[in-house]
Amino acid sequence: MAARKRGAPPARRTLAVPAAAAAAALLAAGCGGGGADGDVEIRFSWWGSDSRHEATQEVIDLFEERNPGITVTADYTDWDGYWDKLATSTAADDMPDVVTMEERYLREYSDRGALADLNGLEALDTSNVDELVASSGDVEGEKFGVATGVNVFSVMADPAQFEAAGVEVPDDETWTWEEYVETAAEITEASGGDIYGSQSMGYNENSFRIYARQHGESFYAEDGSLGFSKETLVEWFGLVAEMQEKEAQPTAAESVEIEAGGPDQSVLSTGSGAMAHFWSNQLAAISGAAKGDVELLRYPGESEFERTGMYFKPAMYYSVSAGTEHPEEAAKFVDFLLNDVDAGRIILADRGLPANTEVRSAIVEDLDEAGTRSADFVEELRPDIVDGPPPPPIGAGDVVEITKRVTDDVQFGEITPEEAADRFIEEVEAATQQ
Amino acid sequence: MTAVLNNRPAADADSGGTAGTGGPHRRRKPGRAAAARRRRETLAAYGFLAPWFLGLGLITIGPIIASLYFSFTDYSLIGGADWVGLENYRRMLDDPRLHQSLAVTFKYVFISVPLQLAMALALAMVLDRGVRGLPLYRSVYYLPSLLGGSVAVAILWRRIFGANGLINQLLESAGGLIGLSPTLPGWVSDPEYALGTLIILNVWTFGAPMVIFLAGLRQIPRMYYEAAQVDGAGPARRFWSVTVPLLTPIIFFNLVLQMINAFQTFTQAFIVSGGTGGPSDSTLFYTLYLYQQGFGSFEMGYASAMAWLLLMIIGGFTAVNFLASKYWVFYGD
Repeated sequence: MAARKRGAPPARRTLAVPAAAAAAALLAAGCGGGGADGDVEIRFSWWGSDSRHEATQEVIDLFEERNPGITVTADYTDWDGYWDKLATSTAADDMPDVVTMEERYLREYSDRGALADLNGLEALDTSNVDELVASSGDVEGEKFGVATGVNVFSVMADPAQFEAAGVEVPDDETWTWEEYVETAAEITEASGGDIYGSQSMGYNENSFRIYARQHGESFYAEDGSLGFSKETLVEWFGLVAEMQEKEAQPTAAESVEIEAGGPDQSVLSTGSGAMAHFWSNQLAAISGAAKGDVELLRYPGESEFERTGMYFKPAMYYSVSAGTEHPEEAAKFVDFLLNDVDAGRIILADRGLPANTEVRSAIVEDLDEAGTRSADFVEELRPDIVDGPPPPPIGAGDVVEITKRVTDDVQFGEITPEEAADRFIEEVEAATQQ
Repeated sequence: MTAVLNNRPAADADSGGTAGTGGPHRRRKPGRAAAARRRRETLAAYGFLAPWFLGLGLITIGPIIASLYFSFTDYSLIGGADWVGLENYRRMLDDPRLHQSLAVTFKYVFISVPLQLAMALALAMVLDRGVRGLPLYRSVYYLPSLLGGSVAVAILWRRIFGANGLINQLLESAGGLIGLSPTLPGWVSDPEYALGTLIILNVWTFGAPMVIFLAGLRQIPRMYYEAAQVDGAGPARRFWSVTVPLLTPIIFFNLVLQMINAFQTFTQAFIVSGGTGGPSDSTLFYTLYLYQQGFGSFEMGYASAMAWLLLMIIGGFTAVNFLASKYWVFYGD
């Protein structure tokens, strides 16, 4: 086996030669109309909606204006397409110089040597980053990503729907999981089934992550193995099943469709439910279509068990490609995105509440109502947040789909919470421990 | 390629032959000129063929060979590739989701293809009777074939067959008229019905085989029908004894083509399930799972091995089709 392994690289090289020749030919053809001498071109890639594209382009224009000689090319797409595109361009040695990363993919790229250590880049200053997310992009002492902003996974509630059902919005500092289930079931019942108490909480693994942390456990341990007990997970799927049985959430088939629709199709946006589970930076997108002014609530059970489970998550990361030809220019651009107040005023809370605390306090007044509410919420939570979870291991991107599948099966009543826990653990272990 | 290469020696032999028959000096000159011209023509031919060969090599054959190599490695798309031998193929044996994807795909192929062909033939026969405005109908029925695999239609399908979609609204109001209020499933979001809905979507795209059937029906000489009618054969008898046997080459052609297509179905399932193959893996087509492995889980080595398994499956079924065709396909004359 070992001998074969050693035999492999030459075979790759033989494939690589014609491929490289072709690539060189294409490059030569593409560069025909190149710019003036001394001009440096860097490419920046991100995912998102139209409003993000427009804002980011504005930031790029401002950067180019202040830094003559550096051109930034925009390379954007939607979330799903983003990772396919990034993976293929990385495989082709054509990774954008500056890329937007996400927690679950960071190690996928950094462990394979695709990202540069930001500590070594002089033009980038990370000293003002919020300490709760400052080291979230670090892997074994190297910094592969710097947080763009802070996000928190929370319950969003539409007070107008509560009122219509004649149910009071519970006190989120003390509510237990049982109260959450009861409240949701009550709303469905009071509305005669027209309004569901809550959108399913099962589809996003971050809900369970909080639940595990409340029990003094964690989703992933420091070494990337699973950090929770099976009992906790069985209890969790038990709650999901209970929500379904009590009709506190949409039918299983409706849930499948709601999930596929993203935030635009959430029960809050379509006015068909009173609560849903989302990241705080999605508040603006959701409250735009909701009936009332959507409120952010703490997770149920924060005072029920051993400790609080909510945490600050870096909304995204800015990372620099390990293969970039212009590391210092790339670092300069990241520094601008992260630390420049004018850039912050354009980006606002779109990439999470700015990670740079100075930029954050400078732009608070520019935020719209939803942005202000999520900023206040984050500040209110701060004292109660114990710590941040370590970066998920390689393969964590798969857990998104595994969570959806197992939750579907629980909600359709095809498997018991016990079976769901076994399957979930087996599949997540297979995906993350390679 | 070989045909072009073989031409050259033949051309040389030709000019040599003419040179031999007459005076060597005088005859040789035009012979040489002819050879030179031919060589120029051959070169020009290669020149014109080159873009195609380049494309074939770089875009088709190169990646195919590369994927065969990658199927024996743990290539992750981002990192390097280490040789793992047959590990990827062995892993297929105990991958429950792979088995699920095979089950889904086989079910889809073996139900939707016969239904689609039957539908196409039935419609072709109706149109063949000489309906007024035939070109219009032909286009109308052909339209779904052009649109069926598209993203827009798959999205539309998802809306129409959703739990609160058009179909259920119609059924509800129809049920209301006769005093019923049935509980209706989400046709694409309930694992029991999702695959069935996709099968219907495929059957709906019967236009392409229909147009081919229509052409085939036109080829059948009228006199066979007249003779059969004179002999007292009814419509059913004429269908089974005249139409079907004479149409078997066309049926065979459509069968092979549609089967290969159906095995490779991707877009519909990808859009309708949002790329997950859900609900509960009920629409996890083989190609969709392959895509998930390659681009979602960065298991490009495994995905390459899966691609080769699919190639073998499709090749196998096509071979069986051709072997079996000896027994049922009737080439007239």
